Order: sequence, then C-alpha cells, then structure tokens
Amino acid sequence: MTAALNDEQEVDATLRAVLRDVLGLSEDRVAALNEASPLFGALPEFDSMAVAGLLTELEERLGILIEDHEVDADLLETYGSLLTFARAKALQ
Amino acid sequence: MSASGLGYGRYRIGGSDEWLMRIGDPAAPAVLFLPPLFEELNRTRALMASVMRLLAGEGLCCWLPDLPGTGESERALEEVSWEAWREAARASVDQPRATVALRGGALLDDAVDTTCRWRLAPVSGNAVARDLARAGLMAEGGGGYAPSEAMITALSAADLGTAARVRTVRLATDRAEADRKVEGPPLWRRSEPQNSSELAASVASDILNWMRQCGAC
Repeated sequence: MTAALNDEQEVDATLRAVLRDVLGLSEDRVAALNEASPLFGALPEFDSMAVAGLLTELEERLGILIEDHEVDADLLETYGSLLTFARAKALQ
Repeated sequence: MSASGLGYGRYRIGGSDEWLMRIGDPAAPAVLFLPPLFEELNRTRALMASVMRLLAGEGLCCWLPDLPGTGESERALEEVSWEAWREAARASVDQPRATVALRGGALLDDAVDTTCRWRLAPVSGNAVARDLARAGLMAEGGGGYAPSEAMITALSAADLGTAARVRTVRLATDRAEADRKVEGPPLWRRSEPQNSSELAASVASDILNWMRQCGAC
C-alpha cells in the first residue's frame, strides 16, 4: 500500500508536520524544535488525548505500527527521543 | 424552506427514534452523510456542517444521522451493536442519491441503498478499534467512548466495502492510495475541534463533481 521511507530527513519532516497538524502548532514553533526540545508536559497542546492522535497519525504517514508497550514517558520526553524512535521504526 | 434551511428529522431503528440533522430543502435530492466514529465525530462536526451548507447551496439536501448511542440518541452506546449502526445507515434516509462518508463512516456506506459513494480518508475497522483502545489508555481515569466488547470485535473485523462507484479522497499527507489528494489539516486528529473553510470547499466541489459523474444530480 505504501512505499518504505528511506531518508532520515523525510522522517524528520514528517514528524514535524504531524506535530503541526495534530497539535495545531504554528510553522515557526515547529521549525524551532530541536532534538533537546521538551514535548510531553512542556507543550500545553500535547495532552494525553493528543498523544493518541499523534501516534496514530505517525503510523498512517510513516507506514509503521507502534505497539502500546513501546509508548512511555521517555519516548515522548523530547523531540529528539521521538525522532530517534520514528527513524528506527520507519527506516528498519 | 430556503436552500440553506436547517432542520431536524427522526428515523426509527431497533425500536427507538433517532435524530437526523438536515441542511437543505427536504424536497431536494438527498445526500446521506456518514460521520467519523467516536471521538473523531466531534472534531469534524464543523467541517461536515460547512460541506453540508455548500452542497445545500447547490440544490442538494444533506442529512446527518446521529448513530444509535451517539449525539442526541437516548440509547446507551454500550448497548448498541455494530449491526445496529449498519442498519441505521441503511434506514436513516430512504435511497439517498449519494453517501458522503468520513473516516470510519466509510465502513457503513456499503450498507446503504445508493449508487454513488464518496469517501474522505477512509480507515479500516481495525484502525478505528486500535485508536479507540489507545485513546482509552491515554485518558487517565477513563472517560471517552466505551462501546461493548461485541461492538469492538465486530468493528475490528470490519473492512471497507467495495462497490462499483466509490471515490476516495485523502489528504496530501496521507500515504495511502486515493483517487485524489487534497491539501488540508487532519481535523479528526485535533483535540480542540477546528474547521477549515479551504478543505470544506475542495471537499464539497469534489463531491458535487463525483455526483454529476454518477448521474446522481
């Protein structure tokens, strides 16, 4: 159904687009995120309901499956931790 | 009744009366809207109303049913079966010219007696069930939607029906196959309900074109 992603930049761009679309963040705020930027608990838009939407939307756009046991506070702590996870999933 | 007339109707299903929202002249050709399921319904209500108003302006009458156990329904969601939702899709409007299904609503459109089906970002029943489970896990202290185990089991097994005249439109960001991709935000993901007049306009014009191709209007 979907072709595999093979580019780290593409995963990064997809993750930023998902944060923008799901959380309703501005382009500027999304562009300013770096690997150390805190996410869950730091962005008021990023509540528990938004986490569910974010994970499902990432699955849809990256063509991956995320198991519930893979989701914990560490995963969502920073932009970098989420990006590392998304790359490992999408580029394996 | 003006072309943009707003009204409410009732339909009878499983021994109870359920509500339908109507936008358009009730004498005009009927279009049945099948809403996204569970939480996504609330997030897309404004988008659906915008699309319904635009189509009403083109001489159509749009109907949006409250599925049993949702909206103004007097039935409890946990007592409603998946088959009751399929039956509701079939019974709410008599032989609509077309169905417009969003997301999980597309799992119901093959139950409807029509010859023209249009879908926005349709999803499998399994994906809806997983989303529901995940949202339940995330929402500490419960809350949200709690359908019966039987409903979840039937939903998980539900696939998108195939029919001769089905058109699928997806957002440009969605990697799955579609007849057309349109620019716009995935409003069904936003925890704060929002609307997009651009998305509503491109959706409405695509529906209208497809209905003309089907000979449905």
